[in-house]
Amino acid sequence: MAAILEKDIKAWLLEVVKADELNKKDVKKTGIHFEAIVPTSKIRDVAKEFLNQGYFLESLTAVDFAECFEAVYHFNHWKELRRGCVKILVTKEENKAPSISSIYKSANWFEREIYDMFGITFIDHPNLKRILLPESSTIHPLLKSFKGEPAGSDVEQCLKLINEDKEGFEILYPQSVTHHQKDYYLNLGPQHPSTHGVLRILLHLAGERVLDGEPILGYSHRHHEKMMEIQSYLACWPNMGRLDYVGAMSYNFAYAILIEKAMGIAPASPRVEYIRVLTTELNRITSHLLWMGTFLLDLGAFTPFFYGFDDREKILDILEMATGERLTYDYFRFGGLDKDIPAEMIPAIKEFIPHFKKRLKDYDALITKNIIFKKRTRNLGYLTKENALAYGVTGPCLRATGVPMDLRRHEPYSIYPELDFEIVTATDGDAYSRYLVRMKEIEESLKIIQQVIEKMPEGATILGKLPKNVPKGEYYTAVEAARGSFGMYLVSDGTLNPYRLKLRTPSFSNLNSIIEILPGCLVSDVVAVLGSIDIVLPEIDR
Amino acid sequence: MEINPANPLDTQTPPPGLVNLFRVEDVLNLARANSLWPLTFGLACCAIELMAGGASRFDLDRFGAGVFRPSPRQADLMIVAGTISRKMVPCIKTLYDQMPSPKYVIALGGCATGGGPFKYPGQYGILEGMDKIIPVNVYIPGCPPRPEALIAGILELQKQILSGKTQGKMSPAVMHDSQDNRPAEYKNAISRVEFRRPPALPTPPVSPTPSQG
Repeated sequence: MAAILEKDIKAWLLEVVKADELNKKDVKKTGIHFEAIVPTSKIRDVAKEFLNQGYFLESLTAVDFAECFEAVYHFNHWKELRRGCVKILVTKEENKAPSISSIYKSANWFEREIYDMFGITFIDHPNLKRILLPESSTIHPLLKSFKGEPAGSDVEQCLKLINEDKEGFEILYPQSVTHHQKDYYLNLGPQHPSTHGVLRILLHLAGERVLDGEPILGYSHRHHEKMMEIQSYLACWPNMGRLDYVGAMSYNFAYAILIEKAMGIAPASPRVEYIRVLTTELNRITSHLLWMGTFLLDLGAFTPFFYGFDDREKILDILEMATGERLTYDYFRFGGLDKDIPAEMIPAIKEFIPHFKKRLKDYDALITKNIIFKKRTRNLGYLTKENALAYGVTGPCLRATGVPMDLRRHEPYSIYPELDFEIVTATDGDAYSRYLVRMKEIEESLKIIQQVIEKMPEGATILGKLPKNVPKGEYYTAVEAARGSFGMYLVSDGTLNPYRLKLRTPSFSNLNSIIEILPGCLVSDVVAVLGSIDIVLPEIDR
Repeated sequence: MEINPANPLDTQTPPPGLVNLFRVEDVLNLARANSLWPLTFGLACCAIELMAGGASRFDLDRFGAGVFRPSPRQADLMIVAGTISRKMVPCIKTLYDQMPSPKYVIALGGCATGGGPFKYPGQYGILEGMDKIIPVNVYIPGCPPRPEALIAGILELQKQILSGKTQGKMSPAVMHDSQDNRPAEYKNAISRVEFRRPPALPTPPVSPTPSQG
């Protein structure tokens, strides 16, 4: 089925669009099945055709080359892995491209990000303004011509922002702040205990009812992408631990696979892969436990928070044996690991599993069957399958709508094909089913951990000397992180540092879908909806 | 007033045994130190360790600092937990100004202390250290610091409060605060105790002990 799809779209690309180039790529090396450079004016037609074929927009970014910009669209299909890459060239004089946000809803934020970072204008975009940097900012940081700001500019700019005291707050409250009006605006965040960081949502309300809500991002922008352009490949490891600090192992995993594929090296021994999967799955459980605790805390239940953190601490102790860290893991290396796991780690896991299984039953009794919790989350925050795909939602949020897409099966990497686990799905697409999917995933992760510690082989965990640079080319890798599909798109020019490294983070797209969910909710339910999506802000803002 | 029998005309030496009202501040400081109410306020990674600090295993409540308040108007301790992006600075400043005095600030982790791993020459996104905008009492290093380190920081802050030292430090690149029109020494809401130090008692002359030959 998927093969037909690919053939169709390729033939279509060749005939209708007259693509300049249609390359078959080496999937094993680059992670991309086919690539086409299409004329700029045709990109809307191409996007429409991809939509008709059932593809979703996985990532959209731009690269600044010396001659021109290149806007890169990655499409993927949820049924089977068919990653198509379409590029358009944007000249530096014109600096304009057609927007596809009316075709793919997820393109809206991606295009705003490109506008923010590169200054490329998208024609017919409904709301083209900065997304990550402050409104008053004048720079486009990912341009190669941007060489950084002078020392001390941080205090200067901050004072300017404080004195203006605008940062959107005034602008976005329309003139209508008069009293006794039917509709009004309310800011949720950026300092709000249940936004799990510094997210701001501008809610448009009529009484208690939400008319629409607009998330405003960038309060935690930490210039990861620019930073990685100016440092060597090895120096990017700490960034991987700090993108999504709750589930950092998956991010380590993605970066390890990306560079190993590009360099053409294999892990030192099968033991490396087993340890990687073991630590990643343990980390996935901690991430889901943290989510469970804070989600229920948002809903007003205190007990699960303490239970969840109690179990989480036990897993952190186990992970600490191997990594020496509690949170921002920086454990994987190219072709290996930082160090082998200590001997006492496996017995500790074996001891932990029965205890945790007992705890899972407690959670079931405490939360899953809790009538208040059910009333609070059922039929709330409903996300349809179509909307989820249109927004590029991945991870548990997508699986809760009934789409069985899990990259561990969809795009098998590492030793996942050898392991026995199920893709958990639910059908309702509401907050309660998102909860169910995550709790089931904890059980599946436990299953994986049990298999891994039984099969754990012996072997070396570190490779010898490695090349310092990555061969020239473009590479894409995606893994299943705790929140969804985390993709990395690397453009290498063969030097010691990445030319461009785009991070396609799951929460960015997942949060985008909230625009569709919020209208019609009550104010008190906004927190429940937001919590059920499971966002980590520094991963969204990067 | 008791009269110094040795020198009835001496009015400079404070009389012993009088009720000393400065002790009231000490009692208040004892109360302040042991019931810190932190603001629920996380910026990035360190916020997770802050949450872990408040949760089952570490339990900040043992030190009286477990009442996390979501509103700055009810809090007296701001724990700046995470990277400070420039876009966020006006909000942090507003939150700080909204807190009633006496108020204390803990910079948790490398980012809040001095930019942490995100500081590089020419960076465009972050503020390199919280002390460039608001005064900081205690710095806790780490990326992220363990909850034990946070507890150590809170104990250090308690020590500072008990000794009456509540004014935080600003970085050399101190801001000129345009919103705050008060005289410089009143800025940032210094506790009254710093202006009302009890006068130092004169040290009694040490009489040489006669040698017992």
